[in-house]
Amino acid sequence: MSPVIEVEHLTKRFGGLTAVDDVSLRLDGGRIIGLLGRNGAGKTTLMSLLTGQEFATEGRIRVFGDSPVEHAQTLSRISFIRESQRYPDSFKAKHVLASAPWFFGGWDEAYARELVSDFRLPLDRPVKKLSRGQLSAVGVIIGLASRAPLTFFDEPYLGLDAVARQLFYDRLLADVAERPRTVVLSTHLIDEVADLLEHVVVIDDGRILVDDEAEALRGSATTVTGTRSAVDAFVAGRTVTHRTGLGGLASATVARLDAESQLAARAAGLELAPVSLQQLVVQLTNSDQEVSA
Amino acid sequence: MTAIALDQTATQDRSRSLGQRILAVVRLHFVNPTAILWLPLMILGIIFGANWILWWLIHEFSGGKDLTEGTQWSGASAFIFVYMMVVAIQAMHLTFQYALGMGATRRDYYLGSALTFVLLGAGWAALIGTLGVLEELTGGWGLNGRMFTSVYFGADGAAVRYWYVFLLFLLFLFLGALSGALFVRWKALGVTALWVGLGLLLVAGLAVVIMTNAWGAIGGFLGTIGTGGAYALTLVGSALAGIGGFLVLRRATPRA
Repeated sequence: MSPVIEVEHLTKRFGGLTAVDDVSLRLDGGRIIGLLGRNGAGKTTLMSLLTGQEFATEGRIRVFGDSPVEHAQTLSRISFIRESQRYPDSFKAKHVLASAPWFFGGWDEAYARELVSDFRLPLDRPVKKLSRGQLSAVGVIIGLASRAPLTFFDEPYLGLDAVARQLFYDRLLADVAERPRTVVLSTHLIDEVADLLEHVVVIDDGRILVDDEAEALRGSATTVTGTRSAVDAFVAGRTVTHRTGLGGLASATVARLDAESQLAARAAGLELAPVSLQQLVVQLTNSDQEVSA
Repeated sequence: MTAIALDQTATQDRSRSLGQRILAVVRLHFVNPTAILWLPLMILGIIFGANWILWWLIHEFSGGKDLTEGTQWSGASAFIFVYMMVVAIQAMHLTFQYALGMGATRRDYYLGSALTFVLLGAGWAALIGTLGVLEELTGGWGLNGRMFTSVYFGADGAAVRYWYVFLLFLLFLFLGALSGALFVRWKALGVTALWVGLGLLLVAGLAVVIMTNAWGAIGGFLGTIGTGGAYALTLVGSALAGIGGFLVLRRATPRA
């Protein structure tokens, strides 16, 4: 079982800025992987490196077992429409959809047409005149209809309204279920996609903070809420990743609680709530966080 | 599980041959033919129309003077060569990032673009060459005007003129490809550096020629190789520009 993406000690520097910092990853395919992180965390740079669009400063990348750089065989199996993808100025949306099939062996024209109508994309409008949401729809349609064995979506929902976003999530899930492939979904709107993700990679400041199964992460932390004194007594001796307080009430996030601890917490009158993926990522990537024992 | 899942997706994983990949880039350049075909054709038409009116005016008001002598030095068609260079720069600037987004390698993209430029050069040579033949047949468009048979295209006959025009287009298009690659990689700075560099080379060359008083030798050399030889020499420049463009583009990355 060879992983689809293998990265060893990957570093990318732009002048003095280190966008990707000594990253090592092994990602198995056939599932939806979330690449989560704040703006400027290095998500797009990492994806650009994985697709051979940027050159690594140091380190080794293997995608489908080969370096993606200038490797036509590998690149033809990858679809990556970056969030800031530029289209030729003279292009209308229809020119994009006319040319994309020439590059993707698995392009499904009927599916593309269906998506165009779903997203109400005006084909005769110059790409320059498309709204942010319509531009995102172009990227989403290419990403889905190319049916590439490895598909990257880079913040695909920008400017899309709630209906269109839901449409994208539904279509993605249905299509991947029908035609298993590897999807990397880069996003900072984590709550919306949390249920889609099977694996989560969190990147912050160019470094990988989390590389784990989504299921494992979902139960990995718990928030306990109650009176300040009860919370203080319960968390004493535990690692607290986050805490807030209001008047006599307090809540604290602690690592996974076993059954015994859960009973003890309830007995002390505390309420327990699982920490959502989004909260977890916020807490992990918020450098101003207050960490107390 | 991974390996099995990937094997199952093999049907949606038909990889393309080199020829198909290069053809995709060629088609990409032509998918919207406005900028690359229709606009330059329109401009050529306008230039020709304006010239024809000028010839007619001179003809009318000079009492039917023969224009052959004067208009054989016409530089009217020069514009179209420079314009095609700009078209080449623009084509690369516009499509490079997009082609990379479509999963093209830089190499396939450059080969496809180069083939596009050769095709464009051939098409334009066919057009200009044929217009030259028409110009001769119609007695300079009825007015002894000359635009497509000017002295720059030599006096070796219509058939050879097609070839000269093609070589000239190649030179301009590949200078455009090199400039386009420089623009993609280093923006305006790269293009400026190229042309300043070429300008300096020219000045240096002139200085050497003047200091060594080599005008006679150069004249002799050009006389020996003739118009055909001089035009064939442009192939060296086109090839150098073409190879240079590839070396520059090979390490280019998409930049906003």
